[in-house]
Amino acid sequence: MLIRVKMIANYRDALPPGHKHGVVELDVPNGTTVYDAVSRFDIPLNDESVIVLNGLTVDMDTPLKEGDMVTAFSAIAGG
Amino acid sequence: MYGWHLKILRVNLTTRKITTENVDPKIARDYLGGRGWAIHYMYKDMDPSVDALSPENMLIFATGPLTATPAPTGNRYMVVTKSPLTGALAHSNSGGEFPTWMKRTGFDMFIFEGKASEPVYILVNEDQVEVRSAAHVWGKDVHETTDILKAEISEEARVACIGPAGENLALMAAIMNDKHRAAARSGVGAVMGSKNLKAVVAMGNKNPPLHDSEGMRTLSVDTSKAVGADVKKGSNMRIYGTSYVPQVTNTLGILPTRNFLQGTFEHVHNVDGDALKDNYLIRHTPCYRCPLSCGRLTEVPDGPYKGKGEGPEYETISSLGTGCGVSNLAALVKANYLCNEYGMDTITTGMTIAVAMEMYEKGYLTEAQIGMPLKFGDHDAMIEMIKLMAYNKGFGRDLAQGSYRLAEKYGHPELAVTTRKQEFPGYDPRGSQGMGLLYATSNKGASHMEGDVAYEEVFGVPVKENPLSTDGKPELVKHFQDSFALMDSSGVCVFVGIRYMFNKDRMILPQTLAEMMNLATGAGYTAEEAMKAADRVYTLERMFLIEAGSGPEWDVLPDRMMKEPLPDGPAKGKVVELDKMLPEFYEKRGWDAKGYPTKEKLMELELPVR
Repeated sequence: MLIRVKMIANYRDALPPGHKHGVVELDVPNGTTVYDAVSRFDIPLNDESVIVLNGLTVDMDTPLKEGDMVTAFSAIAGG
Repeated sequence: MYGWHLKILRVNLTTRKITTENVDPKIARDYLGGRGWAIHYMYKDMDPSVDALSPENMLIFATGPLTATPAPTGNRYMVVTKSPLTGALAHSNSGGEFPTWMKRTGFDMFIFEGKASEPVYILVNEDQVEVRSAAHVWGKDVHETTDILKAEISEEARVACIGPAGENLALMAAIMNDKHRAAARSGVGAVMGSKNLKAVVAMGNKNPPLHDSEGMRTLSVDTSKAVGADVKKGSNMRIYGTSYVPQVTNTLGILPTRNFLQGTFEHVHNVDGDALKDNYLIRHTPCYRCPLSCGRLTEVPDGPYKGKGEGPEYETISSLGTGCGVSNLAALVKANYLCNEYGMDTITTGMTIAVAMEMYEKGYLTEAQIGMPLKFGDHDAMIEMIKLMAYNKGFGRDLAQGSYRLAEKYGHPELAVTTRKQEFPGYDPRGSQGMGLLYATSNKGASHMEGDVAYEEVFGVPVKENPLSTDGKPELVKHFQDSFALMDSSGVCVFVGIRYMFNKDRMILPQTLAEMMNLATGAGYTAEEAMKAADRVYTLERMFLIEAGSGPEWDVLPDRMMKEPLPDGPAKGKVVELDKMLPEFYEKRGWDAKGYPTKEKLMELELPVR
C-alpha cells in the first residue's frame, strides 16, 4: 500500500533527493507500523523526536492504512 | 549584595523627580526579581482600576537576578504595566542587549510614573540619571531614534524606544530595543507614549557581583558545550529559529489560517522556515551572550518589499502570514520590518487586520470605510493597513484599537478571536486543548508566553502530550504558568528551558533555576521555594486583575473557539472543551469554585489580604 512520510526542517536531510516539500511516498506491506515506516530513515527515534500519524499523537505500533501520512520532526519549541 | 543590586530607580515624569530606593532583601527573595518584583511594586503603589493610559499607571522595566550574569540566556528584562488593550496586566519580555546594559547601570529595575509635559527620553549612566528633551526624535521611527541617540550619547549605550505607533497610542504599540527586539504585547508602547517618554538609554559597568562566580562560569561553559553538541547534530534552533514551526502546527492542524477559519494553510510551504532560509536568510543571530542563537538576520534585496532586519519569527508568520491568508513571503518579511520600525506587536497587528479582512469579505465592512479592498491574502493592502495603524490615519484609527474593539464597533463582536481583548497567538486551541485553558486563564490575556504548554502538546518537550485530550491539562497549565513566572522573574529566556530544563521530572526546571539563582545571589532557594515564589507572583497578578475589573468573569474563550468546530485537519470537528478543564484548574490553583484566590491561599503565599 502507498503511504507518505514527511520530514520537517533538519529531518529532511534524512530523505533522498527529489522529495517535494519534505514528503516521500513509500510502497509498504500491509501491517507496516508507524515505527516501521520512520525507522527506514536516519533520524533519532527517542525523546528527541516527535512522530505523528495524520497529525495525531498515536502509539508507534499503530498499523498504517493506505494514504496515511507519518510526519517526523525534532522535539524543540518556538514562539 | 550578589546577583541583585537591590536598587531601583524611580522617575516621576510629571515632577521630573528622580529617586533611588533600596529593595528589602526579603521582598527581593520572596518575589525573585523581574516580573515578580514588578507586580509587588504595582500592587503596593498603584490603584489597579486606573486608566492604563493615565499618568497614574506605572511603567516598569525589570531585570532579574540572572540578567547580566554568565547564566545561559541571562540577558532578559520584562516590561510590566497595566495594559490599555486588555485592561489587565501586561508583562512583555525582551532580550537583545539592552537588558544587560540596563542591569549594568547598577539598578535592577526602573519605575516610570506620571506624564512628562513634553516628549522626553531618560539617560541612565550608572548614577548619572537625566530626563532630557526628546523633541528631536519624537516622530522618528525606531531605527532612526536608536541611531540618533547613540550618536549623541555613546556607541556604548543601548536604547529601548517607541516608534510612531507608541507615540500615537496604538493599542498594539511595542517597546523596541536594539532596533529589532520587542517587548511587544498588550500595548506597553502606548503606555510609554502616553507618558511622553520616547526612549530609555542605558549604559554602565556595574556588573552585578556574583556569589559564586567560578560555579557560574563552569555552568556557562558546560551549557555552551551542550548546545554546541546539539548544533553538530543539526539543531533546528540555529538553522531555523522559530521559523520551522509553521510546518509543525500545520501538520497538527492548529496553524491559525484566515482569522482561525481553518487550522491548515494550503500555501504553508511559501512561508515556512525552508522558504525563509532559501530566499531571505543571511544568518542566525543571538541575543547577548546566548549560545542558542535563534534570531534571524534577513534581507529582501530588491523589489517593492526591499529591506533588511531581523525576523520574522513564527508568531509573525502565523499572524501577518497565514492568519491573514498571506502567502507572499517577501511581503510578509517587509511587514515584519515595518512593525519593528514603527514599534508594533505583530500578533495583534496581524490578527486585527485578519478580523478586518473577514469582515470585508462578509460585507460587514465596505471598501469606502476601509479605503481599499481588504481580502484575505492581499499582502499589499495588509502593508497599507500597518502604515495607517502606526500613524493613526484613516481606517488605521479603528484598527489601532485592536480586533475586539474593531469587531464590536462594526457590529460583529463574535469575529474577534481574543481573551481579555487580546488576540490569540499561533496555536489554535481547538486542536491544542491545554493552550485553550492557558489563553483563558493568563493574567495578560490570550498569550502563549505565560505558560506555553505547546511545548508538550505540540513540540514534545519533554514528552509529547495528546493535544486533543483535556486530561491532565489543568495541572500541566498550572505547572507551566509557574515555570514561566519563575523564568520571567529570574531574567533568563524561556528557550533555555528547551535545552535541558524541561524534563519528565517536573522539578528539574525549578531545581536548575534555583541553582542558577543561588550561584548568582547566594539566596539558598530550594526548588520548592522557587516554585512557591512563582505561585506567589502569579496569584498576586491575579489579585491585581480582580481589582482592575478583569477577574474570573473574563476567564472565557471566544465563540469561534467554543462553538465553531475546526473544519479541516487532524482536529476537524473539535472545539475547546473549556468547561472540562477550568473548574479543575481553579482547584489545582487552590482558588474557590468561582475562580477567586481564597484567603487561605493568600496567607499560605504570604500575600496581602485587602
